[in-house]
Amino acid sequence: MQFNSTRQGMAWLHTWLGLILGFVLMVCFFFGALSVFDREIDRWAIPETRFDPQPMPSFDNLLMGVFERIEPDEAEYNRMMPKYHDASAGEMTPRLELPADEYWAYTTHRDPVLRMGAGFRVPFPADTEGHNHIHGNTTIDPRTGASVPDHHLKIGSEWFYPLHYSLNINWNFLGFFIVGIAGFFMLVALISGVWIHRKIFRELFTFRRHKSKQRSILDMHNMTGVVALPFHFFFAFTGLIIFVAFYYMPVTNTMLEPLHSAQQEIEAQEMGLPHKRAGVTAPMASVDAMVAEAKRRWAARDMAGEVGFLQMHHVGDQNAYVSIYRAGSDRVALVGEGIHFNGVTGEVLREDPPHSLAEAIGDFLAGLHLQHFEHWFLRWLYVIGGLLGCACIATGFMFFVEKRKQQHAKAGSQGSRVVDAFAVTTVTGMVIAAIAMLTANRFIPAATEGKGEIEKIVFWSVWALSFLHAAWRSAPVALAKSNPAWKEQTMLIALLGVVAVIANWISTGDHLIKTIFTDPYWAVAGVDLSLLAGSLIALLTVKKMSAMNETQSKQEAGQEEIATGETAYE
Amino acid sequence: MNEAAWLTIAFVLMLLAMSWFALSLKSHWKQVTDGKPASRILRSLGWFCVMLSGLACLQADHASMAVLVWAMLSATAAFIVGQVLSYRPTLLRPLALFRA
Repeated sequence: MQFNSTRQGMAWLHTWLGLILGFVLMVCFFFGALSVFDREIDRWAIPETRFDPQPMPSFDNLLMGVFERIEPDEAEYNRMMPKYHDASAGEMTPRLELPADEYWAYTTHRDPVLRMGAGFRVPFPADTEGHNHIHGNTTIDPRTGASVPDHHLKIGSEWFYPLHYSLNINWNFLGFFIVGIAGFFMLVALISGVWIHRKIFRELFTFRRHKSKQRSILDMHNMTGVVALPFHFFFAFTGLIIFVAFYYMPVTNTMLEPLHSAQQEIEAQEMGLPHKRAGVTAPMASVDAMVAEAKRRWAARDMAGEVGFLQMHHVGDQNAYVSIYRAGSDRVALVGEGIHFNGVTGEVLREDPPHSLAEAIGDFLAGLHLQHFEHWFLRWLYVIGGLLGCACIATGFMFFVEKRKQQHAKAGSQGSRVVDAFAVTTVTGMVIAAIAMLTANRFIPAATEGKGEIEKIVFWSVWALSFLHAAWRSAPVALAKSNPAWKEQTMLIALLGVVAVIANWISTGDHLIKTIFTDPYWAVAGVDLSLLAGSLIALLTVKKMSAMNETQSKQEAGQEEIATGETAYE
Repeated sequence: MNEAAWLTIAFVLMLLAMSWFALSLKSHWKQVTDGKPASRILRSLGWFCVMLSGLACLQADHASMAVLVWAMLSATAAFIVGQVLSYRPTLLRPLALFRA
């Protein structure tokens, strides 16, 4: 490839990288924007959990009983137990007889329900140095300790949220890698985009919607890209930072493994927290007393707060210890201010020291992406940022097609037709899939076995159908006209949004007058209002598209008239 | 004053700032009114409001949070001003203060 200027090279890079990875980035941005309110979407999808957020309940009186009821996950046991177990040392311990080694509980200021889990140890491990845990998780109503049924999928935090960083393709972490590559090239696309955009400041506010379709689309692409440039940059960048050491470049588990292990041992020694079980059973001290002490110490540091994460290590052993972390709802940086207690005596073993400057920068960067803070206004601004990103990518696709479809039509190429069909699928199809999943959630009775699995199937199949529809209707693009699927799918969004809100009302009795005025519950009202807002925007877009098509066909008819007139003249 | 009030002030200031940045450009000034803008004065006014908006954010939140709110407000405000210029440019006429 030869370019006459750097700018031309950058344009090539931006066009093709943007096109290929744009499909992935669209998913990241849209479901990332929804993830800002993942807990609220959970409330909407699981009506049994529509009550106010609760602080961490009493460990001694409530949580301990729930922990003891948790069972090791059957699938994980079947998969991992044969790997962990040393057959020469003894019989494989049956699943329900595995002893617990670790308990944890996690909550945030937005969670009415409490997530909890246990790690079970393998009595005869093949690798005695290894972690060897089989896990079991549960979600409870912290007011009573009753479990929230497992077959209810938390659509916000267990579907939309992981979709934005893993595409929910977990096989060999493939989805994580695709997203990682897309995130990296997002940075490249931003830099090359700024490079090729000559008048970045002079045209910051420019949206010439009356000019040609191609011009107005490019204006919108530039505007949505540039006004939120810091947002786009920092979210792609911090997203990469969060995962880089775990998935993308896990050098600490490969090349630097020996160094990493040595470092861990030194750290463990310095921390003075027991690395292993002593092998001597011992009764546990009151954890509630430890929680009270932790809260007292935080308050003494002038950062009073609630418990966000609580973990008990080496359960029932003389070496047991309890780590208590503060919920970070009042700051951006993700710091738990952990305090660790001896599980048997209840004495404080260690307080985590303040982080170094480098660590603090890392905490801030991860924190600004993961948003554990309590700030509703900033959350909405993040949603706006995410949607501006979506608009930027969507208009990027449209510009690609608009710029080429005339040429392609003349040359008889199908290129822009194919790209356009994919664009329809990733823009409107994705929104339809998400709303269809929520709608299905309200139509499938709560008692249905495998309810969550059905909802996932609805999501993927609706999305696949949207592609088939877009492909089936795509023929006009090859003639340099527009694909009617854009309008048809946008109409479907308008319709589905309203259906979802009505379905929520009928199935739960929670209508907007109730959730806003008579018995306010903003999590559900917010999802309902967003769905309706989406419907309204879709409706206005349909109207706009109809008007545009009309002028276009008038123009075309006019041109034909001139053409026929000319031939008649000859 | 409470947090919501400071955030509202920060938002309004950022909208003013972005409007003046836009008006300092000849092409946008022409959309709003006739004549030519006193670009330097308008731009300085814009920067002044950006700073004031930042101070208002600091009144509402912890510094680390305020920085994020400030950056996100600038994006939102710039987008809104861009749309106003496209759909209802005359709304900005009261702000077209300094003619060259």
